[in-house]
Amino acid sequence: MTSTSPPAALRVGIVGTGGISRAHLPGWVEVGAELHCFSLSGAEEFAAASGATVHGSLEELLAAVDVVDVCTPTPAHPEIVRAALEAGKDVVSEKPIALDPAVARELADLAENVGRRLFPAHVVRFFPQYEAAKQALDAGKIGTPAVLRFERTGSLPDRPWYADESLSGGIVMDQMIHDIDQALWMAGPVEKVFAQQSIATSDTAVRTAHVVLTHTAGALSHCRGFWGPAGTAFRYTFDLAGDGGRLQYDSAGDPGIMFDTVASARQASGDGFLPDVTTLRDPYAAELVEFAATREAGTTPRVTAADGVRAVEVAAAALESLRTGRSIAC
Amino acid sequence: MLTAHPQDPAAPLKVALMSCAHTHAAAYAAQLRPRADVELVIADPDGFGDLQGEDVVGSYEEAWDAWPDGPDVIVVTSANAHHRDLVLEAARRGVHVLCEKPLATSVADAEKMVAACREAGVVLMTAFPVHFSPAVEALRSAIADGTLGEVIGLTGTNNGKLPAGRDWFTDVDLAGGGSLVDHTVHIAEILDSVFGAPTTVHAVANQILYADRAGEGAETGGLVTLTYDSGLVATIDCSWSQPADAPTWGGLRLQALGTGGQLQIDAFAQHVGGPGQWLPYGSDLDGLLLEAFLDAVRAGQAVDPTGEVGLRTVKIVAAAQESVRTGQPVALA
Repeated sequence: MTSTSPPAALRVGIVGTGGISRAHLPGWVEVGAELHCFSLSGAEEFAAASGATVHGSLEELLAAVDVVDVCTPTPAHPEIVRAALEAGKDVVSEKPIALDPAVARELADLAENVGRRLFPAHVVRFFPQYEAAKQALDAGKIGTPAVLRFERTGSLPDRPWYADESLSGGIVMDQMIHDIDQALWMAGPVEKVFAQQSIATSDTAVRTAHVVLTHTAGALSHCRGFWGPAGTAFRYTFDLAGDGGRLQYDSAGDPGIMFDTVASARQASGDGFLPDVTTLRDPYAAELVEFAATREAGTTPRVTAADGVRAVEVAAAALESLRTGRSIAC
Repeated sequence: MLTAHPQDPAAPLKVALMSCAHTHAAAYAAQLRPRADVELVIADPDGFGDLQGEDVVGSYEEAWDAWPDGPDVIVVTSANAHHRDLVLEAARRGVHVLCEKPLATSVADAEKMVAACREAGVVLMTAFPVHFSPAVEALRSAIADGTLGEVIGLTGTNNGKLPAGRDWFTDVDLAGGGSLVDHTVHIAEILDSVFGAPTTVHAVANQILYADRAGEGAETGGLVTLTYDSGLVATIDCSWSQPADAPTWGGLRLQALGTGGQLQIDAFAQHVGGPGQWLPYGSDLDGLLLEAFLDAVRAGQAVDPTGEVGLRTVKIVAAAQESVRTGQPVALA
């Protein structure tokens, strides 16, 4: 008689232990992962909160894990993703996987060539509201999609690199890429992009962008991003109109729990950088659980490296439109 | 040069409602009929027939001739392409005009109409009832008094059902286009009243919504993006995207984003609702528009929304149509 030992825990190495790594933590805990981390700063604090083993170098971390979760600032994504894939690890990468579409494509190709997974963390695909809408669209509940609108509102994250467009890609590449991905997911490939951006002269942290997408299948999408003034609450909306119906959602109108003004003044509020997901199935956890489950089963997750590449391509076309004032074919 | 008919302030105004083609004709008639200070004649030359009564006549000629000296005022609710001839005839006769939006189906026509009325000394106003919405006034005030700080972005949506029983709305020859023509101008007028004219116009359009009922070449969905010298960016969703089975016709919303925060208005939000029910109780915007127009006629001086703003919004529509054709943004002259 032989005894089966419990399956070995998935060994996950988190690289970069800033803000988003904390959002990833519950998902890895749910998966039962053995955690490792490496970061240029903050690794000890993260380890104290998570029980992760701290490594002194990326090489040391790569030698100790099965999966690498890239949570660094955007400019470092490509070199870490590349190193992890070359070391034969499956990779979760925060979005965007790279600012340059050519680099994003090269990383997706590398993953393909080494037979490893590259999972871009487009977490909005795991928000239950968007999930419900996507299922309804696929079931034909609104007929043929015609005009889609997506809005995302928050505050400029308080790390200085976000405000530097050469590092973060600005509001389009950092924030709006979520809604660009939603538009691609729901209405299919895009052939034309037009973008406009406005940055307040009196407070350059306050900025908005409008991106208009023309989908190959004929639908039109409007993505509107906003980094508002200090104190701006996180909010996201969509409005999906087709020839057979319409679906609308507004996170500000989701009053499962409503404090009155007296009570809400006494209530700690969110930071404006990330949405409050306490009343939802945690979408950050859901994406990592799906990553781990599809990795185990050898199946395709709902978001692939190719999806991450396409989102970067469309966002990059939007940035070119901002630079040139022209509508850009893509 | 002709001048407008002199007004005896005590005498009722003689008003001819020219055509029942536009669905707003019935709304204006309902406002004007009970007024003691108005004598109304309604021309229904196309025989739409939804207005009945002794005050309804079957031709424009009968309406022009309904009084010995003709009407003091006409309200133009014909198909868009016929606005020009009616307004030019009114100017020729020295008659004041309230013209349904869009003012015209081409910039050249709109310019001719504005010039003719100016030269004739008659009041020309464009029928933008939402101009009078308290919600829109709240937006104008919040921007003017600095509540919103530096405003950098706006999104406006004017979504509705495709008007029923009025096929001309998607007949390009009669309407001048589709939803880009019908639904861009209301928000364009509101933006004009706050920010002036934009510098560039970009638009995309398609024909997926109500495709079975839309005429050839008439777009039913569209997104119009405007930029301004200040850097402000605004997008108008002008689509007929309200499903036919929705409990209300549609609505008009605007969201302004500034360094002082955000304001969202919904000009038609005020209603009592229930499953399948929509009981509006908001301000009577058609009534406020007609009141402002009749006061302007008595004072001999147009007030907003004027013919000039009607012309400026026609220029935006024309630029949007050019952008759809070329695929690129268009600079406004």
